Amino acid sequence: MGLAGEDPHMTETFDADGITLERVREYVWEMPQTGDMRVPARVLASEALLEEISQDRTLEQLRNATHLPGMTKHAICMPDGHQGYGFPVGGVGAIDAENGCISPGSIGYDINCGVRMMRTNLTYEDLQGRERDLVNALFEAIPSGLGGGGVVETDVDTVEAILERGVDWALEHGYAVEDDLLHCEDEGVRAGADASKVSEKAKNRGKNQIGSLGSGNHFLEVQRVTDIFDAEVGDAFGLEADQIVVLIHCGSRGLGHQTCNDYLRKIERHHSGLLNQLPDKELAAAPAGSQLAEEYYAAMNAAINFAWVNRQLIMHRTREVFADVFDRSWESMEMELLYDVAHNIGKKERHTVDGEERDLFVHRKGATRAFPAGHPDVPRSYRDVGQPVIIPGSMGAGSYVLRGGEHSMDVSFGSTAHGAGRLMSRTQAKQEYWGETVQAELEDTQQVFVKAQSGATVAEEAPGVYKDVDEVVRVSDALGIGDKVARTFPVCNIKG
Amino acid sequence: MQYELRPHTADVGVAASGDTLEETFAAVAEGLAAASWDGLEAFEAPNDSSARFDVTAVAESREALLFEYLDELIYQRDIRLELPVDNRIESLECVDESDDSTAVSEDSAATADDSMSASAVAIDRWRLEASAHGVSLESIDAREIKAITYADMRLEETDSGWEAYVVFDV
Repeated sequence: MGLAGEDPHMTETFDADGITLERVREYVWEMPQTGDMRVPARVLASEALLEEISQDRTLEQLRNATHLPGMTKHAICMPDGHQGYGFPVGGVGAIDAENGCISPGSIGYDINCGVRMMRTNLTYEDLQGRERDLVNALFEAIPSGLGGGGVVETDVDTVEAILERGVDWALEHGYAVEDDLLHCEDEGVRAGADASKVSEKAKNRGKNQIGSLGSGNHFLEVQRVTDIFDAEVGDAFGLEADQIVVLIHCGSRGLGHQTCNDYLRKIERHHSGLLNQLPDKELAAAPAGSQLAEEYYAAMNAAINFAWVNRQLIMHRTREVFADVFDRSWESMEMELLYDVAHNIGKKERHTVDGEERDLFVHRKGATRAFPAGHPDVPRSYRDVGQPVIIPGSMGAGSYVLRGGEHSMDVSFGSTAHGAGRLMSRTQAKQEYWGETVQAELEDTQQVFVKAQSGATVAEEAPGVYKDVDEVVRVSDALGIGDKVARTFPVCNIKG
Repeated sequence: MQYELRPHTADVGVAASGDTLEETFAAVAEGLAAASWDGLEAFEAPNDSSARFDVTAVAESREALLFEYLDELIYQRDIRLELPVDNRIESLECVDESDDSTAVSEDSAATADDSMSASAVAIDRWRLEASAHGVSLESIDAREIKAITYADMRLEETDSGWEAYVVFDV
């Protein structure tokens, strides 16, 4: 394993356990089409990141993904890619919407897992000295962990309304303002959502989890803006140095997980012919145009709405907590949604492939849409500068705000990375770190106040278990798929 | 029966074995509980059978039955707000030994199949009845296993019984 050639700057190939990648140009590596691969695959990474990516089964999984019928141009691995199940995390697969397929596992169990960022007009100075109060109040008010309930605990009828109406439902019930919808993809309501395609089991799991973080790598963070790399775009995003922002990372909870598994099983039973041609059962796919493909798409759209409402309710609760702690209205603190991005999502999109306009099911699993300036799907307020992209980092490394880069449509079907990417298993993390020590160190050396339901979660999410987010973002920026706008650093962090 | 948690980049795997299929299924279920809660080892379930609840699953194959069983445990956890522990398999059987290809699905979606799909199979050939003791999630520090996956799933008969491997999405 390692780089061939004498001078690393002249390297043309990279070998990893029988898989050879050829360098197309800087940060672009191609796995040539061999055997049953339908198209080549590409990895967008520096040599350092590629070295990490090659340590687990990411490359093998990426190769397997090229077996999906209708895969277009190439299956792509983002700079933060790591091993998943079936499709790698950090994977983008654009699949022909007429002759291809749709693959639930290639979108992910947590449908519309994503991130939103809310601005405030507070500065870090306004917050200093009150971090402890704020982290405690947030932890108290925002449901997290396993069995922690939700901001709203309700019945199946309400779940169905949320599934079909998305953030519109939240607006009607006083959990959102008009402006929130304008700063969310699809204005917070995914069309083509059909609640009847989501199982009763999924709805039952969802009804007590609306407005909840869950556990694992999901969190809510109060952050300060440490760097502005692009003043003009930063201005358009309403970001400036020292400003306090809030980042929320979570998804569709049990409802989304159940929906993914329900359809994986249905596809396994009804499309075993296609499944038997695929190298991994987790790639299970329904052929485009089949009843199950239509049903899954309608159910996935509904789960997407559920996740948006989930993040919306958490954000709105956060506004109330700030109003309490700072004893003034949230409106006066200008707590406005900057943007909400999904990083486990499938969407029918129109892309130009070899000069031809084509409808594709773009599967983004651990990858973020990153449409450039001028794209009609970018909200009006950001259309001149490009879609905001939020890249959450680990507790000790900070996060980034990017904007969709001018080359994203050509290089990555309008996508970029989604985070730092794990480096170490949870089991190993618990052996290497002790939650309380991690927590104390973050507070003493970096003034990061962490409050979690479980010490084990803090250990499993310790900064050291993640790849270097700076390097991931540097590659995204250099490729012109997602350009650096701002960097933020945690002040308060709550998690499950 | 026994189980062991294994590292997986973002998730957790469990390797389990038992003399019988029933024991092996129960061992995987205990692995699911252990992956959710560090305190499981020190916990002793009370003998009080009134705190136990029933779990059932049906599927078209042995492997799928294991998947459905574990999926049902996660569902029950979220609905009951209890972690299922002290898992026991009361019965596990294959009710129809006929060949898969002759069976017909009850699901209407099968009628929409196109040429890319093979024949659908009976979804309830394999049946399982199990029970578990529920530990209130409020009383423990448990973390969420999001879903069962098919990734690298194995269920194999060995000279001494059965072995299983399942990856959980965390």
